[in-house]
Amino acid sequence: MRVFSGQRAWLLQRVSVLLVLVLLAVGGLRLLFWPAPSYEDWRSFASSAHGAVLIVLFFGAVALHAWVGARDVVLDYLQHRAVRFAVLLLVATMLVAVTLRVLFVLGGQIA
Amino acid sequence: MTRQRDTAPKFLNLFEIRFPVGAIASIGHRISGVLLILALPLAAQALERSLHSEAEFRALLAMRASPWASIATAVVAWAIAHHLLAGIRHLLMDLGVGHRLAAARASAWFVNVAALAVAIAILAAGLWSGGAR
Repeated sequence: MRVFSGQRAWLLQRVSVLLVLVLLAVGGLRLLFWPAPSYEDWRSFASSAHGAVLIVLFFGAVALHAWVGARDVVLDYLQHRAVRFAVLLLVATMLVAVTLRVLFVLGGQIA
Repeated sequence: MTRQRDTAPKFLNLFEIRFPVGAIASIGHRISGVLLILALPLAAQALERSLHSEAEFRALLAMRASPWASIATAVVAWAIAHHLLAGIRHLLMDLGVGHRLAAARASAWFVNVAALAVAIAILAAGLWSGGAR
């Protein structure tokens, strides 16, 4: 499984996490210093083009970052080839499924 | 054939490794990362439910009242806090900030203690407000 390995993985993990950090900081500040969003606020944010793109970007960047981290952990602790492959496949499938689900949910909001 | 064996990665036996403070920060980074990956499908589901209807949105918020939700929230809060702080520590070390032993040990202590403090504060706040309701 040489999907995002070596230095490219190292870089991808750091670039994706910078995006996660910025979005978390913006979201965290919004929740800390403004009143809690109502359903209408939340929905109109998620169905606006920029809101939907930010949420999808967040989950996409988390998924890429998580893939590199999960791969490191699996390669360090799981020695058996078949087990390794099975776990990596499971993680990859889950991350793709989560990203697609978020994409569809927000696509549905905009449409 | 032996050449391949020599270049193969070494596998880490966690029971044979000693754990100084930096190692605790490091293994905590990994444990919290795995926890957050496991929580990711739940986050996607919560996102979907929160946008489905106002009733679902309110039901999600109301889940905070139960003590089990407080414990789960505290665990996730620990994972987020530890993963963020330890990750920022690593990014700073990549930039050459605080990578010498004394500074690295001090920042490792800070990460370990601050993440636990965040979790305990959130647990206390959750149980207290849940009990008051």
